[in-house]
Amino acid sequence: MVFNSLTFLVFFAIVLALHRLPLPWTAKKANLLIASYIFYAAWNPPFVLLLWISTAIDWTAARKVHESTTLARRRAWLVLSLAANLGFLGFFKYGEFLLANWQALLASFGVTYVPPAWNIILPVGISFYTFQTMAYTLDVYLGRSKPLKSLLDFSLFVTFFPQLVAGPIVRPTQLVPQFAAPRQATRDMVLWGLLLMVLGLFMKVVVADAGLSNVADRVFSAQGPVGFADAWLGTLAFSGQIFCDFAGYSTIAIGAALCLGFALPENFRMPYAAIGFSDFWRRWHISLSTWLRDYLYIPLGGNRGTEARTYVNLMLTMLLGGLWHGASWTFVIWGGLHGLYLAGERWIRSRTGVTGDPVRIGNRLALALLTYFLVNITWVFFRAETFAGAFRVLGGMFGLAGDAVAVLPTIFIIKAAVIVAGIVTVQWLMRNRELEEVVSRTPWWVTGIVLAAMLFAVIIAQGSGEAFIYFQF
Amino acid sequence: MVHHHEQDDVTVREIPQLRYAAIGWLVLLLVFAATAGWELRMRTLGLRAGDLDDTPVHWAVERKKLETGEHDGVVIVGQSRILFDTDLDVWQEMTGRRPVQLALPGTNSRPYLVSIADDTDFRGLVVCDIQQETFFGKFLGGLPQFVGMEKSWRDESPSKKISHRLGLMLSRRLAFLDDQYSLFSLIERIKIDKDRAGVDGPYFDVWKLSESFANRQYFLWSRIKSDDYLREHARAAWIPPGTNQRPPVPQDQIDEAISITVAAVRKIQARGGNVVFIRPPSTGPYLEREERRAPRTATWDRLIRETGVFSIHFQDYPDMRELELPEWSHLTREDAARFTHAYVAVLLDQYDGLRTPPVRR
Repeated sequence: MVFNSLTFLVFFAIVLALHRLPLPWTAKKANLLIASYIFYAAWNPPFVLLLWISTAIDWTAARKVHESTTLARRRAWLVLSLAANLGFLGFFKYGEFLLANWQALLASFGVTYVPPAWNIILPVGISFYTFQTMAYTLDVYLGRSKPLKSLLDFSLFVTFFPQLVAGPIVRPTQLVPQFAAPRQATRDMVLWGLLLMVLGLFMKVVVADAGLSNVADRVFSAQGPVGFADAWLGTLAFSGQIFCDFAGYSTIAIGAALCLGFALPENFRMPYAAIGFSDFWRRWHISLSTWLRDYLYIPLGGNRGTEARTYVNLMLTMLLGGLWHGASWTFVIWGGLHGLYLAGERWIRSRTGVTGDPVRIGNRLALALLTYFLVNITWVFFRAETFAGAFRVLGGMFGLAGDAVAVLPTIFIIKAAVIVAGIVTVQWLMRNRELEEVVSRTPWWVTGIVLAAMLFAVIIAQGSGEAFIYFQF
Repeated sequence: MVHHHEQDDVTVREIPQLRYAAIGWLVLLLVFAATAGWELRMRTLGLRAGDLDDTPVHWAVERKKLETGEHDGVVIVGQSRILFDTDLDVWQEMTGRRPVQLALPGTNSRPYLVSIADDTDFRGLVVCDIQQETFFGKFLGGLPQFVGMEKSWRDESPSKKISHRLGLMLSRRLAFLDDQYSLFSLIERIKIDKDRAGVDGPYFDVWKLSESFANRQYFLWSRIKSDDYLREHARAAWIPPGTNQRPPVPQDQIDEAISITVAAVRKIQARGGNVVFIRPPSTGPYLEREERRAPRTATWDRLIRETGVFSIHFQDYPDMRELELPEWSHLTREDAARFTHAYVAVLLDQYDGLRTPPVRR
């Protein structure tokens, strides 16, 4: 079920009430586990089997890796875990993509091949929980942690509903120790958690869905050339939409977990105020970027080899990171562009010896704007469904659409401009601050009024339970 | 402040020290007051609790009846005209049968007919709405709204079903729950006097026209009759400036529409089902445009000839001609009952089967 639905509202109230009953800790965890399976089954009940299989495989593989005395056996169990997890991903997420590319490859040699119809539904959030369970076995293999003793704790780690389908992707060490001893959220934790949930819902329902999605949709569904202003506003609207959609989800997830007494890590930290791309990736989808760093970039050799090898590792990591988002070459290009940006920044820094941010505010602002500009170029490939569509919008952004016709009505332009300017301004002002710190310094009644305005806007925006964009990844 | 640990550390979040109780009470008070105020304002605008705001799940509930056999042997398909102009209670009173209402605004009957022919074993009476311009004129390859609904009901999740039930409970008590009067729907309808050339903003879209109730019973919203501004806006949405210049529907489209329809009708008839075409009333400039772009003789009359099915055109029945259509395209609630009574009476004369009690599977 999605967070922005009436079903979730009732579900969460019941889970919260059950969790606060004076029951033994094991019973509470069992309740949470059952609730998490119900949460996932609410989309498509048979797919719960995937969660069970994934749990069983990594539970067994990690123990066997730990118990095995020879390197060969350790490796074999690791390979089994990786093959099973990546096999699921490959089948459900990339099967159609691989077949289509195989067909195109054969066609380039003059061989006609018609693949069978691929009517496989993508299990929601499969990329997230697959990475999470793989991390567990990898950690045990790499000696970073020991296998868990409790199957209940491990199952709950894999399935914990607040972050099950769209992250933050957590490591066993971040969450599992929290299951060890009884935890009861204090009144303040519950209320702060609820506050975060309202903020996240506001970002998703009001800003992303009601405020920006139809602006981006109009521009990216245009069939003809798109003009300069339309192309830019459509892309900026999407940049705001995807941030508020995804960061909104993470914020709700963090808030929901907090209400239950658990702490999830931060996933976003004002990414559109980033100065440079290494800074951007410290602020955008942090749990994925650190996962890719720890389980892909570093095992590939990271920056420990030659300079050329470092650039290759960087590009490989970002290309695969792009492909993680979706089975399409447009996502690969999105990742590739980010890889190029990161490599370019690394090259400039190594040549100039500059390490930190510029001192002058004007220079910092200029570099932040350049970063934001280049990030927006990548969003075009992320949002467009085809390369033709992406180049149509990019053509407009660079003033190359000669006979473009307007696609956005003035009211959409005003709406998108106001909202995007608001998002970027807030992110810049909050660049080096935490929400908790800002709210602590704000008079209580101002916090109350702002929160009430957000909740009221959520109510009267009447979200129709649109799925979060990242569910498809 | 939040402590951000390395990935290998247990996550810890520090909870800021706030006056939570005071904030909580203030939020509750303000949200309650604002929502109550909004509800009152929406009621003064003519919204009512009980207007259920049609959703794909409503449609899915009705569509499933064709699969499960829980129907009375009558299904209505088409667009907003047969949807708003049919009073299901009148149908039931006259025949003992409550039709499954599948019509959707902005569509036409053709894809439903094909879907019923190909994807179901329905052997009852299919009542098909015909609006000449749309039935013959567009979306030969599939209608976005219809395709969306079909996909939606086939992929329906347990979560959506539960949300639907909860949403119904709220809609029966709160008037403001109407997606045509959501915050951004209202903002986007602000009129910009000199908008960009060639762009039609949401101001020019079709606004709220109907109220919907259980079993997808729709009626034209009473404010369309009583409110001059909304009525004129609706008329302008149907006949925007310049649309009278639209060319006639191409002959090849008419040919294809008829050929698709004939095939679907034959398939339904072959298994013992019946199809009837109904042309609900329209008037004023809308009727003029329909007749100019898709004349009755070249479309409707030919369709009837080639399919050979029984049909009812409002112009052929005096009691269907003198009805009230505030925005030229849909009947008032009162006249929807009259129109339903009139066309069901004709159907009862034509189909003896309608006089016998329905048998459910």
